Amino acid sequence: MTQATPLRPRKLRRPGASGLITGTAILILLVLAVLALAADWITPYDPLRQNLMHALQGPSANHWLGTDDLGRDVLSRLIYGCRIAVIAAAEATAIAILLGVPLGLFIGYRGGWWDWITMRVVEAVVSIPGIMVAIVIIALLGAGLHRAMIALGILFSTSFLRLARGVVLAEREEVYVRSARVIGASDSRILVRHIFPNIAPPLIVQVTLTVGAVLLSEAGLSFIGLGVQPPHASWGTMLNTAANYMDLNWFLAVPPGVAIIVTVLSVNLLGDVIRDNVGRGIATAPSAAARRRKVRPAEPVTVLPAPTEDEVLRIEGLTAAIVPEGGTETPIITDLSLSTKRGETLGLVGESGSGKTLTGLSVLGLLGAGVQVTQGAIKLNGTDLLTLKPRELEQVRGNQVAMVFQDPTTSLNPAFTVGSQIAEVLRTKQGLTKAEAWEKVVELIHRVGIPRPEERARAYPHELSGGMAQRIAIARALSCNPSLLIADEPTTALDVTVQQEILDLFRDLQDEYGMAILFVTHDLAVAADICDRISVLYAGQMVEMAPVAELFADPRHPYTRGLLSAMPHAASGEPPLPTIRGSVPRPGAWPVGCRFGNRCDFHTAACDHPVPLEGQNGRLIRCVHAERFKLEAAS
Amino acid sequence: MFRLLLRRLLALVPLLFLVSVLTFSFTAMLPSDPVDLILGDTGTTEQHDMLRERMGLNDPVVVRYARWLGNAVQGDLGTSFFNSVDVTRAVMQRMPVTLSLTAVAALIAIATGIAAGVAAALYPRSWIDRLATIGATFGQAVPNFWFGLILVAIFAVNLHWFPATGFTPISQSPWDWLRSVTLPAVALGLSSSAAIARQVRSAMVGVLQMDYIRAARAQGLSARRVILRHALTNAMVPVIAVLSFQITVLLGGALIVEQVFAINGLGTLAITAVRQQDIPMIQGLVLVMVGMVVLVQLATDILYGLLNPKARPS
Amino acid sequence: MTEAPLLQLDDLWVSYYSRSMLGFAAKPFHAVKGASLTIEAGQTLGLVGESGSGKSSIANTVLGLVPPSQGKMVFDGQDLGALKTRYPAEIRRQIQAVFQDPYSSLNAAMTVEDIITEPLRVHTKMSKAERHARAVELMKMVSLNEDHLNRHPHQFSGGQRQRIAIAAALALQPKLVVLDEPVSALDVSTQNQIINLLYERRDALGMAYLLIAHDLALVHHISDRIAVMYLGHIVEEGPADRVYYQPAHPYTRALLDAVPQLDPAEQARRRAARKAAPAPDLQRVAATGCPYRNRCPLAMPRCEASMPPAYQVEGGGTAQCFLVEEQTRKGAA
Repeated sequence: MTQATPLRPRKLRRPGASGLITGTAILILLVLAVLALAADWITPYDPLRQNLMHALQGPSANHWLGTDDLGRDVLSRLIYGCRIAVIAAAEATAIAILLGVPLGLFIGYRGGWWDWITMRVVEAVVSIPGIMVAIVIIALLGAGLHRAMIALGILFSTSFLRLARGVVLAEREEVYVRSARVIGASDSRILVRHIFPNIAPPLIVQVTLTVGAVLLSEAGLSFIGLGVQPPHASWGTMLNTAANYMDLNWFLAVPPGVAIIVTVLSVNLLGDVIRDNVGRGIATAPSAAARRRKVRPAEPVTVLPAPTEDEVLRIEGLTAAIVPEGGTETPIITDLSLSTKRGETLGLVGESGSGKTLTGLSVLGLLGAGVQVTQGAIKLNGTDLLTLKPRELEQVRGNQVAMVFQDPTTSLNPAFTVGSQIAEVLRTKQGLTKAEAWEKVVELIHRVGIPRPEERARAYPHELSGGMAQRIAIARALSCNPSLLIADEPTTALDVTVQQEILDLFRDLQDEYGMAILFVTHDLAVAADICDRISVLYAGQMVEMAPVAELFADPRHPYTRGLLSAMPHAASGEPPLPTIRGSVPRPGAWPVGCRFGNRCDFHTAACDHPVPLEGQNGRLIRCVHAERFKLEAAS
Repeated sequence: MFRLLLRRLLALVPLLFLVSVLTFSFTAMLPSDPVDLILGDTGTTEQHDMLRERMGLNDPVVVRYARWLGNAVQGDLGTSFFNSVDVTRAVMQRMPVTLSLTAVAALIAIATGIAAGVAAALYPRSWIDRLATIGATFGQAVPNFWFGLILVAIFAVNLHWFPATGFTPISQSPWDWLRSVTLPAVALGLSSSAAIARQVRSAMVGVLQMDYIRAARAQGLSARRVILRHALTNAMVPVIAVLSFQITVLLGGALIVEQVFAINGLGTLAITAVRQQDIPMIQGLVLVMVGMVVLVQLATDILYGLLNPKARPS
Repeated sequence: MTEAPLLQLDDLWVSYYSRSMLGFAAKPFHAVKGASLTIEAGQTLGLVGESGSGKSSIANTVLGLVPPSQGKMVFDGQDLGALKTRYPAEIRRQIQAVFQDPYSSLNAAMTVEDIITEPLRVHTKMSKAERHARAVELMKMVSLNEDHLNRHPHQFSGGQRQRIAIAAALALQPKLVVLDEPVSALDVSTQNQIINLLYERRDALGMAYLLIAHDLALVHHISDRIAVMYLGHIVEEGPADRVYYQPAHPYTRALLDAVPQLDPAEQARRRAARKAAPAPDLQRVAATGCPYRNRCPLAMPRCEASMPPAYQVEGGGTAQCFLVEEQTRKGAA
């Protein structure tokens, strides 16, 4: 796709599980806060009062969670521990943020020596195990809760510093920051007004992570006797006590342990939920589609010629939709029928949201999560691919059908040499030996017009120019001599002189190998160059289909005409240039009748009802005014 | 590859230098006077001054630092203020204990973490994904020393499968070593395993959406091959950085877990040293630990270069 | 022309220094190698080239985002090259920009009103009400609904977002707007809407444009002059019609020939012609002399010896090609 789709999938909030978890987590943290505040009033006993007569008791009516080695009430100590935990988390996190964020913002934006020196110091600190840093700082300051928290605050400030710096470094290169600089906003204004709002979400996530880590570290430090000092109650010191009496009363370890786990868990879960909802920077799994539903058979197709001997691909009544889990279907391709034969190049031309790319992917069965074919048939060399099992489809891919993608630099795996990626296909699909495969690889790379093929085969994708990489991708696609090649905007990412070379290569290879090509593009001029027949798609439908010469000599659909006159080299002279008003409707927002209706100059009441695709002799059009345009063209 | 290694090694020099400066200046700032620590209230003022002179404490900080660094480079980390123990020897004695605990924990964490992360990424939103995600979330919330206590209660105190405390060197008896190291290593490795699993899952999910995965699928390569060869190789690139960091975390965690199992490793040494303000010992410990971390980083850097051709200098 | 041009670049170099590990400067990469250009007030200069030609570096330098390493850059009588990237406010407000990708050029965290009034906040002392009135005016100017001022960028389509970017660029009534591939990320059917809008606004407000694009045909529509870049050199420059219809440099001609036409028969003819010609060298960069000579079908021995200077072309403008000189000589003889 050349255009970023205007449709940014907004996350569908699932009210069920995640809401429940968030609610519980917030509730637990609220309870913790209340306990911490009200500890003085609600504890049944003084947490420090010893009663050696009742030491190491299990849970009872008097002591709900039992007593410790000195007969102190465990429940009361646990509640006071909440207070310590809240103080600890707040103190250390606040110190970490106040130290780390401003410094990180500053060095990230400023760069240069400030950045270099600060980062080397941070690296040095980070390369010392955290607990050791804390221990050294405590050695300096002395043990005790507040001192330990200062130590942890300093320690965790490094992660805030790195986060703030990282975000600034990334955002600094964003175009909107460049825009702000062009406007003339000062550095501090750019930092505070433009960049900072974009740092807030990851910062909140980092805060939750830090709170969790502080709680665990505080417990650990208190456990080894460097944090909260006895006899004061903290969850860590309680565990320290418990450790000494594991064989006498193991239950002592349970209440403080559970308290720590539940608290840290709540904080972490909250962080996860925030991160998922903010959804920046971190990849989340696309929500899986609902259970794969059965593909309904195609309605009888009238617009295709009868199958012939040399027919390679025949798509009948293809309908595909976004099928979210539990949501409503949104169609993205409707009732698409087309066929292509050996040695022919069929162009699929359309803008964003036309469904052209998805048509190609549906042939390969690679529509991706959330998108499904709901109706129709895709026959490749006579076999309906939609009826095949995944394993069988795997056999078809590569051998009978292959694909070349838009961006050659991302469609080759960056981790392997380009030669090995072609060889892999030959070895797994054709069972060649390593030596045979390599010989064929060199031959293929030579065939696609790359000089010094032996040397180039050992290059990594990032070492090649875009045009070279696309040649390699083509060599890989053709390695098993497929009968159908799907090319999805294969020249859009390339310079115009390179585009010409690649288009020539497609022609030459087709003459030699005789495969059919399904050529997906947004550029009618490219289609004019490479295609034998062209099918124009708009908003998930085919609106016109014609042999290439006829389409350009006599375009009939108002959309095709509009597109043609809007091409930069169509008109000459000064603006105003011809335009099509409005913009392409998003899937789900298509008009009921003619989908181009609201942008069309010829719109009449008849256009508000669904319009069928009609015609003969390979000349199809979906327009109620078709006859009129035909007459116009004739006169 | 050789140039990458050389470059990394060169980059280590300023790092180690900085760490040594940091360590030295921090410990030099300690509130206690070493002479007072050694002599206590005993001894005359002259004796105090004599000792101060002999220890070189009257020299400027830079001179003291240079002397300490010069000795450290030659493997002499000085003498403890207590018992006149040689720091290098004390640290070297304890190191194999902590190191083997950390290594076993790292093995457990990496193996389980990667397996769980890959499994979860392969079947998003399936029961295996949910189980791994829940497990990882819990794993990161459990304090390692508490998990150790519970393991001891169950497997040592009740079932007697493993010893509750102590450490047997591998040279003495490999079998007893394994028994003694299992519980502490599991306790230590849990949270790292969880962190790695989360990272692997997230990286895999990201990589599986890349063009080259779709292209490999379009070529008819089997799902298994695409995932294990094409996706995992690339997903491991960001994971490597996490591995390196997690091993640092494990090394620190070992200091605490050792206390649960009464293992006489670097942790015990460190805690005693801090309590006693034993400056040469603290300095030596930090330096040795950083040395170990640096070696791990070097190893992961090389791994990173192997997996990511773009990182190799051309 | 008696009046001084609005912007004049004279032998401008832009170089990038990749910093090595220890901070020592490595070998510089010259993105622009001695570019000379002029833009008259109220006119459009189209700057065309393929990726890596240096056209975006020129844009960034004019915008003050990247300092020139050498050469002169005079805007409105003031030498900007000497200022490096720290333009004074009165210069800054005169040069605005519209960038290629309308999805990343607008700050997702701000509302449309915030975005288009931000220049006013920075450069004027307007009250909030005055700024709002101006925002409404700007929205009308780019044919957007003023009720949408408090929406966020993600609620708009690509074409609409580009209109917002244009509104922000027009807010201060600058003398020069740098348009960096302003329509190449848009749907074909919306591209011309934006081109028309830009053209109309230029004539209404009397601004000059520096239009960066890769498509000569598109540039030809709204430019008064066109400059063609290849590997850091401006290989040809001249009046738009002359460059488009009578290209003097072989590279300009190749660029024009490479653009597919909407005529299949013409395409077939061109393909046949290409087949007959020898295959071009895939090695794109020539080490010495003219940078294009490796791929040039008309390369001569002297092209290898030295870089051709800019020769005057009949019909206006210049081209850096020895062929021009030889033709002129022949014409004279």
